[in-house]
Amino acid sequence: MMNYPNITIPLRSEHLWRYTSWKRIHPTNVDEIPTADPVKFSEGEDSKIEDSDEIARSFIHSVSKICKRINLVGENKEVDLRCSGHICAGELEINSEGDSSLILRISGDAGWTGIRLIGTVSGNLSVAVVNDLSKDGHFLRAEDWTINRDSSLEFATLSVGGFLNKSDIRVKLAGKGAELRAGIASNGHASRHDDHHFEIDHSIGYTTSSLVMHAACSGSSHSIGTGLLKIADGADGSDAAQVFRNLLLSEKARAEAIPELEVLADDVKAAHGAASAPIDENQLHYLSSRGLSKSQASSLIVEGFLMDAFRHVKNDIVVDCLRTRLLVHLECLING
Amino acid sequence: MGDEVLAIHDLHVSVEGNEIIKGISLSINLGEVHVIMGRNGAGKSTLANVIMGHPAYEVTSGNITYNGKDLDEMEVFERARAGMFLSFQYPSSIPGVQVGTFLRKSVTAVRGESAPSAREFRKELKSHMEALDMDKSFLSRYVNDGFSGGEKKRLEILQMLLLNPNLALLDETDSGLDIDALRVVAEGINSIGSTSGCLLITHYQRLLDHVKPTYVHVMIDGKIVKTGGAELALDLEAKGYDWLEA
Repeated sequence: MMNYPNITIPLRSEHLWRYTSWKRIHPTNVDEIPTADPVKFSEGEDSKIEDSDEIARSFIHSVSKICKRINLVGENKEVDLRCSGHICAGELEINSEGDSSLILRISGDAGWTGIRLIGTVSGNLSVAVVNDLSKDGHFLRAEDWTINRDSSLEFATLSVGGFLNKSDIRVKLAGKGAELRAGIASNGHASRHDDHHFEIDHSIGYTTSSLVMHAACSGSSHSIGTGLLKIADGADGSDAAQVFRNLLLSEKARAEAIPELEVLADDVKAAHGAASAPIDENQLHYLSSRGLSKSQASSLIVEGFLMDAFRHVKNDIVVDCLRTRLLVHLECLING
Repeated sequence: MGDEVLAIHDLHVSVEGNEIIKGISLSINLGEVHVIMGRNGAGKSTLANVIMGHPAYEVTSGNITYNGKDLDEMEVFERARAGMFLSFQYPSSIPGVQVGTFLRKSVTAVRGESAPSAREFRKELKSHMEALDMDKSFLSRYVNDGFSGGEKKRLEILQMLLLNPNLALLDETDSGLDIDALRVVAEGINSIGSTSGCLLITHYQRLLDHVKPTYVHVMIDGKIVKTGGAELALDLEAKGYDWLEA
């Protein structure tokens, strides 16, 4: 296993680094391993996870002084991750059994935050990750999830914080009957940059995955959604779908949606789609005809569009948390 | 003229340069139910949409006043807040927005300071939903998203009852409804009819078994070519529209 300084800096031609280069997301100079303050976890046991050959994971591992573990056995938990200081980092290990839910709220005013997470799911887990960092922070997030046989992961991310954000999320469906339902909602405002890369690996057959990413972009914000769907040789019976939708709310807002497929098995379903559009005039007219001003109508459409990314999330605790946090965020945007 | 809610004077309307409405005049008073019938493409829905201010339609001449005020000076949401309501033929879906949230926001916007408290609103809502035979699970669904034709129409009528408009425009609200749903919708229309003006666009006489019209107008090629009472709808049912084109 290579340590961070020995890993080759990735080229921008690589799918993962096309829109947010390593140089751009690294907190200092790419050759450096700076000193970082630890993320403050509201709970969790001390733990330790392995280094990685992947540059973002290895870097966070190198700078992080804290690693926590959360075990869920048929329970619902909310965990706050407070991030402060010039550079802040932490690692988290999650093990889940039975029917559980977990809400991870990442907040704070750190200049740069790096969080690495490794999760293993046996049973049914519903997770919400809320990026609620201060509006000028930089955020690097690297996650690796494994879903075991006959287990399911509902994975929801609400990304509204930070100025420059890079998320690299990878999920491996490791046993027959494993299921992933993932939804990502990103709200771009001012000149916020939010880059999500989501890899789903059907390493075995008779597994199911769905990914929905919705980004609503205003101001001169830039949203990126790249998906890589891998279906391994022999993983017949896999069923996968990815949809990326962008709502463009201003002329200067930009959004990229790039789903990619790498299918090596024969008998599979693999669907993907991407679309970008402004607000539908008929939706606006409908809401206006019900007494909502243009700004009220637009705000409600944006709220709905973002919440719609979570339509496959069935856990009410998780959905309610996401809705509440989104409403607070949109209210703050409207009221400055 | 004191009871006049809507006055349309020699209205001409175009969409993308094509004239759809070619000179319509109409006056609706409080308590009156006006029915407009006509073939597909006659301009009936265009009339409803232009009254409500859809941006795709351009009034090229003539005018519309609502309670004496020129509608040209009113934004769409101002028309709604002033008591106008359009039940859409094809209501838009708003994915991610729950029906309950939408209704509450709409009632607050339209009724302003006289909007009910949260508790009163729930009570009102429950009462209307029971009358329309709607299950409360409806409230957590997304607005018109995945709704059947009948469900969409019921939601439109539910909104009408909650908003209690001064002028209701109903664009083919009876289309696609089974007999029971038609009766329920008709009861909804009747419940506001005595205190409001109502413009009902329909293809079928069957709705008029339940809703008694004050006037029936026949629209052909962007014009009202004949006006009569309820018996005119029966004539149309029996003879079609050809006899009016001669």
